[in-house]
Amino acid sequence: MPGVSSRLAAYSQVVLFFGAFLLFWEYGVRYFEVKSYILPPISAIAVAVWEARSEIFENSMYTLAEVLIGFGAAVVVGVMLGMVVYVSPFAQRTIYPLVTALQTTPKSALAPLMIVWFGYGFISKVAMAFLFAFFPIVVATLGGFAGTAKNLEEHFRALNAGPWRTFTTLRLPSALPSFIDGCRVAMPLAMIGAIIGELVGSERGLGNLIMLGTASTRTDLVFGCIIVITLISLALYALIEFAAKSVWWRGIQV
Amino acid sequence: MVSTATAEAPQSGKGLSPAAEPAVNHIEAHGLNKTFGSFKALEDIDFAIRNQEFVSVLGPSGCGKSTLLRIVAGLIPYESGSATIKGEMVRAPRPDVGVVFQTNNMLPWLTVRRNVELGARIRNMPADARDAAVDKILDVLSLTKFADAHPHQLSGGMRQRASIGQALVLDPQILLMDEPFGALDALTRDKLNVELLRIWQESRKTVMLITHSIAEAVFLSDRVLVMADRPGKIVEEVTIDLPRPRNAATTRAMPKFGEYVAYLGKVMGVAS
Repeated sequence: MPGVSSRLAAYSQVVLFFGAFLLFWEYGVRYFEVKSYILPPISAIAVAVWEARSEIFENSMYTLAEVLIGFGAAVVVGVMLGMVVYVSPFAQRTIYPLVTALQTTPKSALAPLMIVWFGYGFISKVAMAFLFAFFPIVVATLGGFAGTAKNLEEHFRALNAGPWRTFTTLRLPSALPSFIDGCRVAMPLAMIGAIIGELVGSERGLGNLIMLGTASTRTDLVFGCIIVITLISLALYALIEFAAKSVWWRGIQV
Repeated sequence: MVSTATAEAPQSGKGLSPAAEPAVNHIEAHGLNKTFGSFKALEDIDFAIRNQEFVSVLGPSGCGKSTLLRIVAGLIPYESGSATIKGEMVRAPRPDVGVVFQTNNMLPWLTVRRNVELGARIRNMPADARDAAVDKILDVLSLTKFADAHPHQLSGGMRQRASIGQALVLDPQILLMDEPFGALDALTRDKLNVELLRIWQESRKTVMLITHSIAEAVFLSDRVLVMADRPGKIVEEVTIDLPRPRNAATTRAMPKFGEYVAYLGKVMGVAS
């Protein structure tokens, strides 16, 4: 079968590259005598993660819950707002410019405010994840609906299709590829939002663990947390990619 | 009320001569005007299409012929005059009128079968009648093998055939077609003309076909209305007196066929 050997070659390239990178890290810091509170060797990070595994796991689940709930809320509210703006010219003139203006606000600047409003606990981090994920989803949803092919809309009118039928049969499937694109952007942003929230003020979560690690110069633990955050983000992104497979008609024009 | 075609009950129009039904004008327009802003798209359009008649509207691009079809289909409003279907003013799309557009209207995420039955689902046709109607149409259009394929897997010609199937599924008495083969290559277009002719000869629907192909109009039509542009108006009406049933080889070879093509070419300013 063609392609198998070239795919194997591609995989081995990746493995070799990362292997070389980790080896360089491990022995580079020793060779150049980098202080371990600046950059610990990768083996020390692995050991730190293993020793703190239950703590890291617990805090990971906490942060993951913030991200998923914030993201989920952003999908629900974002899709609803996108739909309202799409169907209502009034909302398009009033709410949408406001949303666009708010989108340009640096969301990280809102973190202290969220803590004032919702406290140091779970809710303020969910709010941060929501704020980061919300705008791309609104924009993508609206773009998806607005991108419904005009000839298909006319076709549905010629068939006397009611608004609900047109929505479920035509507009919704038309908008899905764009919506999924929005989720692709929004999911990593939700993680960023939650972590920023935790860094600014929290009692639990991976961001909190990073702050604790920094305060006690446990740079190995800080790196461990960063790596775990990255892995969780990658897993979530892969989840979206998996869901995107069911919207296979993206980009297909007939 | 739309009659639903089933395998047991073949379409009622089959085999009937035009005279067997009351001589009602299915489509009529009187003094029809349409402007877009300051642009006069249609001026004083007058025509009538009889029950089971096949009429083509021939004209250059931008002469307003598609606008005329959309008005008759109830898709866009008009300023003055009247457009009627079976004597009733056109205000909205009607279930007894099927429309085929130039761009095929396949939903990419649905199979060919699902696409063809779309109109039947929208109009809540009972499932068994719907399935029978779709089976028959897929068979007539030679699409049965591709029923479970998705539109992007088909050729342009097949997609356009499926588009015609979308309009036929409700067995409309009136078929409005807006340059249905305009985006296809000449060979595919010729083939689909033959297929459309066959379908029409079997089901005898009233057809209004918008086209800019003279040969297509002559080959298919009982009558050809020629439009001029700026503003769009009907400048000539030619009855195509070629015997029916027509077929690809003999009809196109008739001297009269060539004469009609030449004459219409002259009217449209194509031929010298």
